[in-house]
Amino acid sequence: MKKSFSLLVVLVLALTFAGAVFANGGSESSTDAAGSGNLEASLALAGQVDALTAADGQPLIKVSGTGREVPARPADPEALPEDNPLHWWDMEFAGWNSTKKNIPDSPKDGAIGKKVIMIVHGDHPWTTACINGATKVADVYNMDFKALSPNWDLAVQNQMIDQAINERPDLLLLIPLDAKTAPQQARKINQAGVPLIMFNTLPEAEAMDYCIAWTGPDDFGQFRKLSHLWADKLGKEGGVAYIQHAPGGSPYFARYWGPRSELAEYAPGIKVLDAQAPGFEADKTQQLVSDWLTRFGDEIVGICAADDSAQGLGISEALKKAGREDIVVIAAGNSKQGMDLVKSGDIYAITYQTAEGDGALAVKTAADWFNGEELPPVRYLPQHMITIDDVEDFYPPQW
Amino acid sequence: MSDLEQNKTDLRSVSQTGFLKILNVAGIYGVVVLFILLGIFLQLLGVINNFMTASNMLNIVDAVSMLGIVALGMAFITYSGHFADLSAPTTMALTGIVAVQMLQFGFVAAIVSAFIVGTIIGLINAFAIGKLKVNPIIWTLALNYMTLGVIRVIWANKQIYPDMIASSEKAVELFDNIYRLRFFNKIALPMIMLIILVFLFHFVMSKSKFGIQLKITGAAKKSAEYSGINVERMIGAAFIISALTATLGGLTVTSLSRVGAWYNGAGYDFKAVTAIVIGGMTLAGGRGSIIGVLGGVLVIGLMNNLMTLLGVGTFSQDMIRGIIFIIVVGLNAKSLRNLGRDDA
Repeated sequence: MKKSFSLLVVLVLALTFAGAVFANGGSESSTDAAGSGNLEASLALAGQVDALTAADGQPLIKVSGTGREVPARPADPEALPEDNPLHWWDMEFAGWNSTKKNIPDSPKDGAIGKKVIMIVHGDHPWTTACINGATKVADVYNMDFKALSPNWDLAVQNQMIDQAINERPDLLLLIPLDAKTAPQQARKINQAGVPLIMFNTLPEAEAMDYCIAWTGPDDFGQFRKLSHLWADKLGKEGGVAYIQHAPGGSPYFARYWGPRSELAEYAPGIKVLDAQAPGFEADKTQQLVSDWLTRFGDEIVGICAADDSAQGLGISEALKKAGREDIVVIAAGNSKQGMDLVKSGDIYAITYQTAEGDGALAVKTAADWFNGEELPPVRYLPQHMITIDDVEDFYPPQW
Repeated sequence: MSDLEQNKTDLRSVSQTGFLKILNVAGIYGVVVLFILLGIFLQLLGVINNFMTASNMLNIVDAVSMLGIVALGMAFITYSGHFADLSAPTTMALTGIVAVQMLQFGFVAAIVSAFIVGTIIGLINAFAIGKLKVNPIIWTLALNYMTLGVIRVIWANKQIYPDMIASSEKAVELFDNIYRLRFFNKIALPMIMLIILVFLFHFVMSKSKFGIQLKITGAAKKSAEYSGINVERMIGAAFIISALTATLGGLTVTSLSRVGAWYNGAGYDFKAVTAIVIGGMTLAGGRGSIIGVLGGVLVIGLMNNLMTLLGVGTFSQDMIRGIIFIIVVGLNAKSLRNLGRDDA
């Protein structure tokens, strides 16, 4: 009896598995279904997409209008000192000189009804806003759109990539969780014949060879620009300290070496006193800044933070406690806490980092590819610095 | 005393290392004094500046006051022989986000709701670990993940802000002041909370009947049961106390960050255990004190302060903290083995 029951269970499981496999096999790319007749209708939706707005009232899709001036690559950037901006060329301009490999041609049959899977890096309110932005654009094109989150686990992200490949989408959007692993992920997707667009976080340069394009914030460019504002406010002299992003990802380099290497040329009178990565906890940042004030006293006149929320609040509390509101603070933005601190004068300037726009630009770029548009290898979100003069324009916050 | 016990005592006295001797004689406050002397010495040599100033000392205590609040409550669990409460981070996050949500009904409603939720989490832990005797590490870890999921589902993975929800500006101001209120413009409210909890918990742990019964429960659970102590109630009470201090910590950290979010409180489990163990409380239970845990918290604050003043990088700081934790746990385990309790 027991044996028969076991056999029955095994049989049911086997049938369920086989059913799932066949069902999966049936879920094919909608390319054929979409048909070439979609193209005109898809192109006609451009105006509707342009009219979309983010939760902060700003236009949802903003592409950097003027483009980015890309200097010639030095023969060996690594050989240059770290405070030379060109030392970071391979990271800052990753993708601009990529040699595309096995990139599929655009079907040129429109974006309507396409099956697009987006794999992000992990759960966070920023990510929720990013997916909201992406969904807004996907809805306009009536895409079969799905977002997956590996919750900051690289192994899970790799599994999700396998799962997505099995589903045969028309295109895959990916935020690489780890810059160094990104080339392997991109190669795998590429070899499976699935068109790929990477976005938000910069991967190692090799990954760019296997994707149609990369879209996202120009973190290096933003921070180079922000550092000019900062230096001007400081009179191009004095001691400054940096609170860094989590090591490993491109923001760690862009938000520390970006301004540091820029100021080595623009304001050499500014001296770097220290740089630390206390994480994204306000209390730890507060202790760090309090200790800096003890250690450097009047020598420290500026702080640059990789995050305007927890880090921004930690800085602000420490400065208030010590009565050192003379210190000029800049940060990557633009969280609600960060904008509140700009409004109250605790932070001098933050960068505009549209979360919804980030996701939306990736989906829009996918739509442009389906529409047969010629795409640049890199598409940046626009650069903008938020100060007390225009902070009100960015309320309510996106996340 | 039997021969076996005599041998163990002899072995203990022979095998004590110098550091352990210092710990045993002067307690954790010997280490606090050593760190302060090191700071003064480095200041005299001109290696660091302004270490021995009132503002720096206040900064040190200020920086670890939230950790202290959480660690003091969790210490009851360790004392009861149930290691730690790994659900503390999400208890902090959940109570914090509930408080922010309930600010729409006023400040008092927010605080009361947070403590009701904290008590419920404590009761769940108390039932599972005290009554059902589930492994405390596995259970609290699982509950931590479950609570995290609950927060994400209910609030759709978004964070919420006091000033966008509260019924009045006064409610926002009061909530803001949980972290920011300062007495004499220097002493922050969390520091006052810490001091009050130290006195209260010291009395409860070392002077009250509950404390004595908890000690016996932690040191020798079977003996406690045979002597008529309601062990289930003792363990349950320890988890409820821990949940309540995690609630207080959650309210404070949410007030500081001005946001209710699932990630508030992350890392407080390991930080609290580190403080408890450095403070001389054994993970096997029944040994240690609240004053010792306070010492452990102060050592962490002093260590962080000195390392930053010396310009030690963040990653090296993490490494040093990890090494010190391993050394202290190792010494603790060795000490327990010498006492014939190798279950640490």
